[in-house]
Amino acid sequence: MARLELNQLSKRYGDFFAARDVTLDVADGEFLVLLGPSGCGKTTTLRMIAGFVEPTSGAVRIGDNDVTQLPAWKRNTGLVFQSYALFPHLTVAQNVAFGLEMRKAPRSEITQRVGEALELVRLGHLGDRLPRQLSGGQQQRVALARALAFQPDVLLLDEPLSNLDAKLRQEVRVEIRKLQQSLNLTTVMVTHDQEEALTMADRLVVMSEGAVRQVGSQRDLYERPADRFVAGFVGRSSFLSGSLETPERFRSAGGIAVACRPSTVAIGPATLALRPERVTVTPEAISDVENGFVGEVEFVSYLGGLIDLHVRLSPSDLVIAQIPNREDGFMPRTGDKVHVGWTVASASVFPGSGDDADSADL
Amino acid sequence: MATAATTAVSVEERGGSRLSAAALIGPATFIVAAGLLIPIVILFRYSLNKFVPRLMMVDALTIESYVKFFTDAFYLGVFFTTVKVAMICTIACLIMGFPLAYALARTRTRYKNILIMLVVLPLFVGNAVRAAGWMTLFGSKGMINAGLVGFGLVDVPVQMMFTEGAVIVGIIAVNLPFMVLTLQSVIESIDRAVEEAAFSLGADPWHMFWRVLWPLALPGIVAGIILTFILGMNAYATPVLLGGPEFKMMAPLVFGQMQLGNWPFGAAVSFILMTTTLVLTVIAGLSLHKRYRR
Repeated sequence: MARLELNQLSKRYGDFFAARDVTLDVADGEFLVLLGPSGCGKTTTLRMIAGFVEPTSGAVRIGDNDVTQLPAWKRNTGLVFQSYALFPHLTVAQNVAFGLEMRKAPRSEITQRVGEALELVRLGHLGDRLPRQLSGGQQQRVALARALAFQPDVLLLDEPLSNLDAKLRQEVRVEIRKLQQSLNLTTVMVTHDQEEALTMADRLVVMSEGAVRQVGSQRDLYERPADRFVAGFVGRSSFLSGSLETPERFRSAGGIAVACRPSTVAIGPATLALRPERVTVTPEAISDVENGFVGEVEFVSYLGGLIDLHVRLSPSDLVIAQIPNREDGFMPRTGDKVHVGWTVASASVFPGSGDDADSADL
Repeated sequence: MATAATTAVSVEERGGSRLSAAALIGPATFIVAAGLLIPIVILFRYSLNKFVPRLMMVDALTIESYVKFFTDAFYLGVFFTTVKVAMICTIACLIMGFPLAYALARTRTRYKNILIMLVVLPLFVGNAVRAAGWMTLFGSKGMINAGLVGFGLVDVPVQMMFTEGAVIVGIIAVNLPFMVLTLQSVIESIDRAVEEAAFSLGADPWHMFWRVLWPLALPGIVAGIILTFILGMNAYATPVLLGGPEFKMMAPLVFGQMQLGNWPFGAAVSFILMTTTLVLTVIAGLSLHKRYRR
């Protein structure tokens, strides 16, 4: 396994940048996840690493080698496709042997490595089957074994779990992560599923419109989103638009004043983002928080252990709160007046108050 | 209750679909049976009759016509020429058609439909008309010779018309679209990711082709080979117009015999042509399939 470096990697189609100045450094044995909505450039970036898309500019380095000009078949990257792309005319063992055969490995070594790779994914007994005789989960594991058998420098996963059903997905998630850690595989995975990204990654890269928006740990992205896109895409946020009056006070369009962390955002139009679970909702006034408001419950969604509330603070300010389903039975109903509050540290402020600011996650 | 109702409905549906299936395949089956099988049976019966010059066809039960064919060097020559020309044309169509079909299947241009139309376009021109076109090209005063002589590359026009080469070129031109269309539809059904998987595993384009594309496209390759081989074996207009009076293939021979009124021999030649085509097609199909099926 080796280190992977992307340097100012761009892909342009006419005037459209599918990926723009992507610079990333993946350490040896690190699991990096590219996360973003469809069309954000994450797949283009992965395909540039694999060698299927020629970058317009920039460089890809694997280990000590600049592979930017190398065709896919000379790059030594193991790729697991979303559709698995198993060879339908070859048996499971022949599929897994393919990469070794292309490298002209001796017969005895091929047999041994194929056996090991299939054991790794617990499919040692199915080597003689054809792919179409396997379940989706098994096919997925064959694809993984095939990508690992020839000991690639980098493992690339293109939405590898999206064709599995929800329950299986959770198991395979853990399985891939364990395998990646035990083999110390340098891995880049592409996904649009943030739960998948959060549970598997060492580090995450949030992309949108071809560009990297933020790189960091799960905690970094959640607690300190770099911009309002990240705040909306990773986890949920309710957004209030308005303006920053002083570095520590935000006033919403609906007129409520919110005390917030001293921010570097310029005084002027701004958006406030608030995590739903950081909002406290009580029947009586809250004394120990900096920001306390009265609002009317507009919508209640009972989730079992949790309750989602939409609370309107003013005609133009709506806050989502997620509160625990407590023993004391506090259970607001639509139309109830409630007190909501949050601490200074709970909110993030971002520049601009555009109408596009309207909470994608309501 | 609900289950019973659904079962009843599905049974009804199945019954209905059986009826409509019959309605769907009925007309084609009838045409094939009435228009093909019956004449073949009659023709076969004719081939066992005797030919007496003044009386033409006389009822009999003899294999005289078949014996005549296989013991005469001239007819055997026609037979082998036909098989050779059909094989050369089929192989040439496969070699030239595959890259074209691949490009057509994989292109992402929005002009794809136009490109496919361009492949089909030659079929809008009938064989005879097209052969006439080739004649203006191949003739001793045709375009190619005019060019060669004009540039001083040759002194006397090269004999191109009425050669085997001209016939082969002509038949390839007719058969190529069939090969391309057959291959294109099969290649299109192969997941592009499978090719990329081969590349990512270290296969260069050559190995990707032989190890992945070719075996997966095999059903289409077999279908294309069968189609073009049958068309090549049975070519009529092209060998007549481009091959001239000296160059003989089976289909013109059949028609020539029938024009002479020798129905028994014409019918026998038809049968030999048909059987050979069938046997060679089956052999080709089986051997290709066997090599790639384990």
